[in-house]
Amino acid sequence: MNVFRRRRPFFLLAILIAAAVAVPCTAQDLPLKKDSVRFAVIGDMGTGEKAQYEVALQMERYREKTGFDFVTMLGDNIYGGQSPADLKKKFEDPYKPLLDAGVKFYASLGNHDNPNERFYKPFNMGEKRYYHFRKGNAEFFALDSNYMDPEQLEWLTNALRDSNAAWKICYFHHPLYSDGKFHGPDTDLRARLEPIFRMYGVKVVLSGHEHLYERIKPHNGIYYFVLGNSGELRRNGLKPSSDTASSFDTDRDFMMMEIAGDQLYFQTISRTGETVDSGVVARQENAAPAVP
Amino acid sequence: MRFLVAVVLIAGALCAQTGHPAVNADSAIIQDFEKRVAAYLQLRKNIESNLPRLKSTPSQEKISHHEHELGRAIRAARKDARPGDIFTPEIAAEIRRLTAMAVEDGYGDHIGQSLRHAEPVQLHLEINESYPERVPLQSTPPSLLANLPALPPEIEYRITGRDLVLLDAKANLIVDIIRGVFS
Repeated sequence: MNVFRRRRPFFLLAILIAAAVAVPCTAQDLPLKKDSVRFAVIGDMGTGEKAQYEVALQMERYREKTGFDFVTMLGDNIYGGQSPADLKKKFEDPYKPLLDAGVKFYASLGNHDNPNERFYKPFNMGEKRYYHFRKGNAEFFALDSNYMDPEQLEWLTNALRDSNAAWKICYFHHPLYSDGKFHGPDTDLRARLEPIFRMYGVKVVLSGHEHLYERIKPHNGIYYFVLGNSGELRRNGLKPSSDTASSFDTDRDFMMMEIAGDQLYFQTISRTGETVDSGVVARQENAAPAVP
Repeated sequence: MRFLVAVVLIAGALCAQTGHPAVNADSAIIQDFEKRVAAYLQLRKNIESNLPRLKSTPSQEKISHHEHELGRAIRAARKDARPGDIFTPEIAAEIRRLTAMAVEDGYGDHIGQSLRHAEPVQLHLEINESYPERVPLQSTPPSLLANLPALPPEIEYRITGRDLVLLDAKANLIVDIIRGVFS
């Protein structure tokens, strides 16, 4: 008893630390500034398995908290079969609370997707393999990295050139940079796309394919995120390099992003609700790099 | 993958030795290819005009039905299709040569890396077959696409194992095949 009394402050401190670790971090939730653009990001999600539903549940919790109203999908939207039952199990059911709340999903095609998903209205692709849309001061370019032919490259060049959006965000399935052990980067795609991104002021690039999360250190002022574990997971699938700014490869996750003026805030949230990465990207040329 | 690149280079060199086509001959071969592709598209257009137009829909059933019906009707109309109907021997040789050129142009490592990156599939498909629903589509390296004759958006070059196929994506149908472009 005496021992407990003497060491009580240490016990109390230990309990407080344990509680702090166990409770999902909410202190870093996005700033939720007035009139900001808020959206979620998911990749490689369409398994129809329990983990996908659990990530979707966290997304709904964050929607209630942040009010995001659209989601960008980084491909492998539907694994395996493409029957109506598959679409229900792998998309309509897990995201039902979000769909019921009016959240719009904007898909890009992965290597496991049937290209005819472009006709599936809830994916908002406008019957096109690649397309763009505007939200506030940001323009989003959904590309088809399965088939980056000269026609698509020309379309992208023109669309980026003609865009006057403050933020230009490109997303597609195959990452240009990745330290994943299974796939790694697509350097051929990088050789074709990166010069266009640099030329026309793309600031943020989102990809999936590798079943983990990785934030890459910026290349030429462009911030690359790999997020391919919103349903699938390749546990311990990352071999971090000097290019890795942050990573998470032990569970599933999704991202929240918020664009407020010249700042883009990001937060990566695990299946269990833990914030595993967060930071801010500044739009100005000479701004500080992302702050974890 | 180095082996693949080497095989492509050797294949290209063999094409060159067996009669490196002059520029005009190349042009004639490409024109012939374009004519054959256009003929396929016309056939497809006629067939699709008899189906209800597929528009953006929340019904996956409608999308699958359209894909199956389009594929079935094209298959019936091309029941006698054989390898080489579009990829004639001359065109196939030209495509092997252009593939080798893409590698020689300094993109060989990139192309090899891209092929490895994209979940290579080992398939042996036949003309008029559907692409298997549960098998991922291998992405076609952009540097390769930049070197091959342009195609209309309705059909695509796809790599399946060692073969280069023409895929009608909307009908999910193999239109023609060149065997052994990649080894």
